[in-house]
Amino acid sequence: MEKFHSWNRRDFIARVMGSLAASPLLGRSDFLFGQSAKSAPAAPKADASAKPIYRTLGRTSISLPIVSMGVMNADVPGLIPRSYQLGIRHFDTAAVYQQGRNEEMVGRMIKEMGVRDKVIISTKVARPGRSRDRNQTSSLTYSPAEVKANLLDIFQGSLKRLQMDHVDILYNHAADSVAEVNSEGTLEAMAALKKEGKARFLGVSSHRPEMVLKEAMKLGVYDVVLITINFTMASDEELLRTIDEAAKKGIGIVAMKTQAGGALRPDPKLGKPLTPASQTALLKWVLHHESITTAIPGYTTYEQLEQNFSVASNLAYTTEEKEFLSDKNAVANAQFCAQCGQCRPDCPQGVDIPQLMRSHMYAVQYSNHSLAAETMAPIASGKGLATCESCESCRATCRHSVNIARKIEHLKKLASSGVLQA
Amino acid sequence: MFRSLTLLSILLAASVGAMCAQRTAEQDSNHQEMVKLVPEPLPADTAVKYKAFYGPDNLYEYMDGAADIFVLYGVRTLLHLELRAKAADITADVFDMGSPDTAFGVYAAERSPDFHFIAMGAEGYQYEGMLNFLQDRYYVKLLGFGDGVDAELESLARELSARIGANPTLPKLLGRLPAENRKPHSEQYMPTNPLGHAFLGPAYVAAYGAGDQESKLFVTVAREASDAQERLKQLEAHFAKTGLLKPAPELGEGAIRASNSFEGSVLAQTKGRYLILLVNPVKGSEQLLKNAAASLE
Repeated sequence: MEKFHSWNRRDFIARVMGSLAASPLLGRSDFLFGQSAKSAPAAPKADASAKPIYRTLGRTSISLPIVSMGVMNADVPGLIPRSYQLGIRHFDTAAVYQQGRNEEMVGRMIKEMGVRDKVIISTKVARPGRSRDRNQTSSLTYSPAEVKANLLDIFQGSLKRLQMDHVDILYNHAADSVAEVNSEGTLEAMAALKKEGKARFLGVSSHRPEMVLKEAMKLGVYDVVLITINFTMASDEELLRTIDEAAKKGIGIVAMKTQAGGALRPDPKLGKPLTPASQTALLKWVLHHESITTAIPGYTTYEQLEQNFSVASNLAYTTEEKEFLSDKNAVANAQFCAQCGQCRPDCPQGVDIPQLMRSHMYAVQYSNHSLAAETMAPIASGKGLATCESCESCRATCRHSVNIARKIEHLKKLASSGVLQA
Repeated sequence: MFRSLTLLSILLAASVGAMCAQRTAEQDSNHQEMVKLVPEPLPADTAVKYKAFYGPDNLYEYMDGAADIFVLYGVRTLLHLELRAKAADITADVFDMGSPDTAFGVYAAERSPDFHFIAMGAEGYQYEGMLNFLQDRYYVKLLGFGDGVDAELESLARELSARIGANPTLPKLLGRLPAENRKPHSEQYMPTNPLGHAFLGPAYVAAYGAGDQESKLFVTVAREASDAQERLKQLEAHFAKTGLLKPAPELGEGAIRASNSFEGSVLAQTKGRYLILLVNPVKGSEQLLKNAAASLE
């Protein structure tokens, strides 16, 4: 493995910009939903006259409607003014989205609309060395000074693309490890940008919500934390407690991946596409947690926009949404493991199936393999995934129709490819 | 040449190694096809730093959210390699997108007209330490650093292009669109949600200049003429609800003019199984819509 490269600055920036082009972004969005307007059930419509619910973003004192726009995959400029017309006031982008063109679109539209002082703009910059599988150890390492210089360069590009002299929230992008949350070079750069007024508030985004919230509370530097949170985590009591604890300490919490990957499941073989009601139900489920200020669902059509923003003024579940959340079949289609443990006796080897299902959730729905590996690590010897290798297929049956065998096979495949390493 | 052979040989070894980790016959078949893109034998003084195949259900493991667009465009397989050859570090990502249209679509989605374009495959561009190109159903992205890496990338790209061999052209429908005032390298292919409307996909797009202004021509492809008419009706309903809608018989039978406060102005008409839209029409650009309709007859 290589250590510090003695690159000249040109090489360094070229590499970093190259990384941007193939860079990992934050998780999947919900933008695959709604591709067949004719066949899909009608989505709820936003009522422009209805007053959206506002919440305060922790110690920033920023007040926001509970539904915001994750611009990530949107490439239709008109979605931004339409979102503003309906009442959305927070637009979230990142330097890497669409190789910077996402920021350009946000900047151009906000300028044309003349509403910069009425909206909250967030962007994200990632540390270098994340151009490969995040579960692999990069062969490139960077000094704090290199990281700082890199971030300052990239953020300068962000401001230029956004046509702004500052952003409201600057996130440390996709910090999925303790080291990344606490990255010395990153923190130095962000602190400098805040001091210069180029970033009003500092934030960190992560697929590992519990970890990042705990680290943010310890560190005391981040004003805002952008976390993955959705219904698949409903049984994660420690996470939900941590969210409340962080909010009480003044950390503003923004939710992403609220619809757990949208109407298409991360693994298409796991379940049928979900309905529009499922999407609003899932968004409402997240926003029923009052410690979460706002969510940034991604959308790429006007229909999806209206569907998402319909939630902003009314969190009460509709009959159809209640049916989705309580219907065993619907939830089973979504393949959410309820961690009930009723499958345990089915396994002749006594494998800890619920824990494996939880690991699968982390691996697939969170796309966080290290967390999946960490979740499997404490499983008692003889009760883990290795024991499953002796069976051709799993005989356990889920009382709620989760496809346990398929998920076990998926975990085996991930394990054999070597990505499940803590 | 030796350098390129070195790199290409590494590709082969890495491909074979990565294949061992794959299980299904379908995947193996596809991976075999990709292996054929690179020559052998392997030189001794090379090293593979990292190698993997990814498919639509695990591309997220490599690219995280950036995988969305590749999945949307129908990616079948990514052959991902990180190579070390002498002083050069190179990452080679070869995406099998399943069809020339979808390969073009994802390539164009990541392309900017401002890039430095080179003659490579159907189209390619290069800048410091990076070379991307499109050919047939493959989108190839090469990234590297080190002295002389740009020449290495170009040499590697030419070898890969030769191995792909087939179809070094852009989608045929683009060639039927009016050429006058078309902005170079502005064409796109959107399988879903063009203009933010699910019912308009798929669509080919090209930008046209008129002074300092720009109009965009969208050609949405329906299964048959009645489907194209249905799309037009849905578009009419959308603008009737959100803005203004007027018939424009001077543009052609069934043509419309529409506008609202967030999408601007649109001219639209059908021609056979195509629904043609001109977004942000400027003075004189009505003729562009007519010309496009005529060329698609």
